[in-house]
Amino acid sequence: MKRLTLLTTTLLLLASFGSAQTPPAAAPAAAPSPNPITDADLKAVEAPKAEVRAKGDPDGALTGTVADVAVADPITDKTPKAKGLTIADVVNQVGQNKIAINFTWTLICGFLVMFMQAGFAIVETGLCRAKNANHTMMMNFMVYGTGLFAYWLIGFTIQMGGVGGVANLGGVPPLSAEYAVKLFDKPFGLFGQNGFFLTHNGTYDVGVMVVFLFQMVFMDTALTIVTGSAAERWKFAAFIVSSFMLGAFIYPLFANWAWGGGWLANLGNNFGLGKGYADFAGSGVVHSVGGVSALALAIIVGPRIGKYTRQGKPNAIIGHDIVIVLTGCFILAFGWFGFNPGSTLGASGNGNLRIGSVAVNTMLAGMAGGFSAMFYMWIRYGKPDASMSGNGLLAGLVAITAPCGFVNPVAAVIIGLIGGILVCLSVEFVDRVLKVDDPVGAISVHGANGLWGVIAVGLFADGKSNYGGSWNGVAGNVTGLFYGDASQLVAQLIGVATLVGFVFSLVFVVNLGIEAVIGQRVSAKAELEGLDIPEMGQLGYPEFELKARSAGA
Amino acid sequence: MAGIGLVVTLLGFVIALMGLGMTSSVNMRMIMALVGIAVSFFGIFGMINTAYNRNAIWRK
Repeated sequence: MKRLTLLTTTLLLLASFGSAQTPPAAAPAAAPSPNPITDADLKAVEAPKAEVRAKGDPDGALTGTVADVAVADPITDKTPKAKGLTIADVVNQVGQNKIAINFTWTLICGFLVMFMQAGFAIVETGLCRAKNANHTMMMNFMVYGTGLFAYWLIGFTIQMGGVGGVANLGGVPPLSAEYAVKLFDKPFGLFGQNGFFLTHNGTYDVGVMVVFLFQMVFMDTALTIVTGSAAERWKFAAFIVSSFMLGAFIYPLFANWAWGGGWLANLGNNFGLGKGYADFAGSGVVHSVGGVSALALAIIVGPRIGKYTRQGKPNAIIGHDIVIVLTGCFILAFGWFGFNPGSTLGASGNGNLRIGSVAVNTMLAGMAGGFSAMFYMWIRYGKPDASMSGNGLLAGLVAITAPCGFVNPVAAVIIGLIGGILVCLSVEFVDRVLKVDDPVGAISVHGANGLWGVIAVGLFADGKSNYGGSWNGVAGNVTGLFYGDASQLVAQLIGVATLVGFVFSLVFVVNLGIEAVIGQRVSAKAELEGLDIPEMGQLGYPEFELKARSAGA
Repeated sequence: MAGIGLVVTLLGFVIALMGLGMTSSVNMRMIMALVGIAVSFFGIFGMINTAYNRNAIWRK
């Protein structure tokens, strides 16, 4: 009876989201044409007098005036015949203000994404056993530096070295060298060539620095996903090398194809497939790359001792702190407001005012994912599982990451609801059918839902968003199958095939090499003892006595 | 077995890619992409993972 009531409540909730709103596109009323402004008009604008200004400005009315506009040829006592303030000065100031707004927006969003590392760290550590707390935290801590170093050396160049212009951030003209081959008589961009050490070929540039910071924290997010699936048995040295390779070569390669002007981005231009592969904030580029890498690692490293019986039946190995797990989920949800809205790379111009819609879609999908996972577990197992509810929230956020810029709020809720259920089904499939041990559910949260997010663009994109007139250089708006463009779905599916077929294979081969040279897995003795002392030399919780409760603990 | 699985996984990607050059039909390209994805999943789940599970630690 209880379950029936829950089911009914869920259905009612779903039904209430069912009616999509399609507001009429009202054309703005034509404004009367103003008299042209001249340099003489500008000279008539008076700055606040110095003696008035000296008394302070408690209400802010005197701060930020004509006195603050940079003048190229200022009139002074020594240059009385100078031009003074001109239209050109004002226009330059307007342009700089736009770029300044976009720099500030992108940087602050990048800082939020950087803070997600803390969320990942405590989610993963909380879902692992206390005897591995130091090791799990250290992996999440050092993945930041390892990834950053690799990306600065090589990765950024491969990913963005040939992006060929980011209008929101001043154009970044130095990033203009993409290496391409001819395939099917079309250019296939493979990797960028400018940007080594952020000094090579003119890349010591303010706009390039902003692009670097924002893209770097995205790359690090992908890297930290992997540490979860291989937790509690991964050699720290192998983790360092594997993360370096992922940050230097593997992630940047796919990111170039999708975001750096590579062949996936040009599927629209070259093959008429929608607007090319569209992945607004990285369900595919960040989360699926992290997720399929996590799958490859989990297969190579193998399950933890005690995870499966000799008959292959899975044992639940419970994490040690659900409080920090859910706190970490909240930190991640907060950071996602940098992840998705920040991916406009600006708040001013080029359709960027859609950041409000992007942010709302993000929060709605996260909510929907959390709800659907909670209700799924409640109905199926009789209790609203906390860790799966947290994973449901993250699944909804992962799934909306690619479509957030292209869909309406109703679609965002549907995408999130599906994401929440998908993560539960995928965890069961990975755990019971594949017998792949993934202590934190990284494969399901990021891999399965990342792929779902990529596909969701091809289904739900409503053709309303138009960032600067085109996406991936193709005129018009991104439109999915449900709104009339099946070819966009094909572009998305080719992206999925690349992630599953190419990225997985590359990660697998690289990590087989690491396995052959230094080994991926710790000794059985170290694993049973807990990795804190054997690998790190220090317990995560030295003042607590840790008792073995579960099989293999 | 795992090695063959790796080749099959990569083959799935190649199938999806070949769809771009072999046809200009949206439907055909969609079918090729879906077949490619299915082949890659078979390579990962049906071959690589199965090979690793044969020697998994829990069987010992």
